[in-house]
Amino acid sequence: MARIGRRSFIKSVGIGVAASSLPAPMVRRARAQALKKIPIGGSIPLSGRAAETGLNVNNGYVTAVKYLNEVLGGVEIAGERYQLDLRMFDDASDPARATTLIQRLIDDGCDFFLGSFGSNIVLPTVAICERAGKPMVQTGGGSDQIFNQGYKYSFGMFPRASLQFLSTALFYKSLNPLPKTVSVVVTNDAFSKTAAQGVVHDCKAQGFEILDQYQLPEQVTDVSSVMASIRAKKPDVLTCVTHDQDSLLIARQMIASGTTVPMLFQGLGPQLASYREALGKYANGITVHIYWDERAPLKDKFFGDAQKFAAYYRQNFTRPIAYHTAGAAACIITYVTAMQSAKSIKPAAVRDALAATDIETLYGRVKFTPDGDGDPELMGGVVGQVQNGDIALVFPDNTKTAPLIYYPAPPWSQKT
Amino acid sequence: MNLVLQTLSDGLVLGGIYALSAVGFSLIFGVMHVVNLSHGVIVLIGAYISYALWQALGVDPLLTIPLVMLALFGFGYAYQRVIIELAVDRSSLLASMLVTFGVALMLRNALVWIFSPDFKSITPSYAFTFFQIGELTFDLVRVAALGASLVLLGILAFVLQRSRLGRIIRATAQQDLAARLCGVDARHVYGLTFGVSAAFAGAAGTIIGIVLPFAPPDEGLWTLNAFVVVTLGGVGSPAGALLGGLVLGVISTLTSQYIGPAFPNATMFLILVLMLLVRPSGLLGNAFSGSR
Repeated sequence: MARIGRRSFIKSVGIGVAASSLPAPMVRRARAQALKKIPIGGSIPLSGRAAETGLNVNNGYVTAVKYLNEVLGGVEIAGERYQLDLRMFDDASDPARATTLIQRLIDDGCDFFLGSFGSNIVLPTVAICERAGKPMVQTGGGSDQIFNQGYKYSFGMFPRASLQFLSTALFYKSLNPLPKTVSVVVTNDAFSKTAAQGVVHDCKAQGFEILDQYQLPEQVTDVSSVMASIRAKKPDVLTCVTHDQDSLLIARQMIASGTTVPMLFQGLGPQLASYREALGKYANGITVHIYWDERAPLKDKFFGDAQKFAAYYRQNFTRPIAYHTAGAAACIITYVTAMQSAKSIKPAAVRDALAATDIETLYGRVKFTPDGDGDPELMGGVVGQVQNGDIALVFPDNTKTAPLIYYPAPPWSQKT
Repeated sequence: MNLVLQTLSDGLVLGGIYALSAVGFSLIFGVMHVVNLSHGVIVLIGAYISYALWQALGVDPLLTIPLVMLALFGFGYAYQRVIIELAVDRSSLLASMLVTFGVALMLRNALVWIFSPDFKSITPSYAFTFFQIGELTFDLVRVAALGASLVLLGILAFVLQRSRLGRIIRATAQQDLAARLCGVDARHVYGLTFGVSAAFAGAAGTIIGIVLPFAPPDEGLWTLNAFVVVTLGGVGSPAGALLGGLVLGVISTLTSQYIGPAFPNATMFLILVLMLLVRPSGLLGNAFSGSR
């Protein structure tokens, strides 16, 4: 028997290992080739002034895409299986940068878009997508200007700003004792100004007197003059149509100047865990607009229900979940459902399917008006209240998770 | 009458914060003729350092001021000696503006990376306390901020006027060449000046962090405020910064109360333009104009 030398042995083992590894990558490549990709792109503020909620929105997009790709193994559209290819870029809360990013994505062949956060950013990007004939589904812009330009390719998860306040006006009407006067604080930006028009309209329609409207600059560092005026005029309700950081500043200065009103409502701000943490016990009793709660019995074709979505989110992120996260995930779900319904991934066909969408999702029912905004009755918000550091739903009755507390609000020092 | 008094007192209290946040900018501009566009981000770094110490160790933010000032003094000295000095030597003073702008962008994004873009708030137990004198209401933290501003500005004024270091800084600011001929290491003095400026910016940041929620994008606002304060009050002196800050604070609150809350910024810039036309050196002029 011929001796097998050490070198021959090593050589033959090496050849054997190499030969056995050859088929595997080829099989993997073949499998990867079987799953085509659908690029869905957009810009999102991961830095800059809108980044706090921008991150929440981005996390929603990532969660939904990850779940559909990894847990469900892709989505089936017209008999073919696809993976979603999420292409989001940081627009730094800058509308000019956002438009450049969107245009670049269009030039690179992306057919479907997700929205940024902030009406000032969403508005110009929606215009670009409209011109290019590419759909955009977004959960970041509610300004009326997004929806009254006759755009056919734009779809939003919120009713337009001027229609968002109806449930809150009805909430004020349900209070006992019934308030008589409402003062409004609004910052000078695309969303807040149109939302404030809705506040004024709906409050007057419910019979409330609008005592004052305080218009603040877009970036606020001090509201002491507003506080002095509120202490002098004593409105029954103070409604803040401001973004998160400004809402916190207003609340802080109210507390630190001893300015109490029977009911304080802030459209944005209290829904963030960081806001509630900053104010501690003083946040209890402040009311807020809420569009989603994970405890709600919402069914979803892909996730199962809202609770399972929240559980999957927490497996992947430590950041507290906010309703914008669920809204963003619903944008992905809505897109996929529309593609399945259209049996197509052509933008025009998907657009038509989006316009006809009427589905139940982890976020609630999704149905758009002919102008593309969320149906105000089906997708309008409910009223939440901070209670023991968390948000409880207090209006309307059919969505309540806790009774209203601290009405009329006591002096801040008496809150526990 | 009460509303007028309340508005004036709110303005003075606000002005104290503006003054402290601007004095460092004023000093650098007066001594070195450098427009430090990274001033606002240094203010925020002070706020973030205090926030981190408060969150991690439970240290009262006001007690962190000495540590914040020491840390940012070192940072400011190194920044001047390593980066700005190089830019000025190789190019011109204009280059220092561009360099500080670039550094501001980098530091701002570094803050986002380290602390996330979420806004932060420092809320010690006394953050929400107020007191009343007659019918006037005062936010305790803001009044404390005014007090701290006056103390720190007083210390700076004393150092500049009465100490050897202050004499050297003033001499270098007034006549750079003559100071060098007298044996002053001007580069070292510039480094010290920048260090002092950064230290005061950091102290202001701590106080701002207790008074308002803050986030990295706010840095531009504090640089802009510093510009306006320096233009109003004058360059290079704590007194100029104090006067400019108080004037700006009172203009802000009076405008907000009697014209509308949307107009303080517009009024601020109108006053800025008028000052530049009428008295470009500010109300107290240039503190270092001595023998020029």
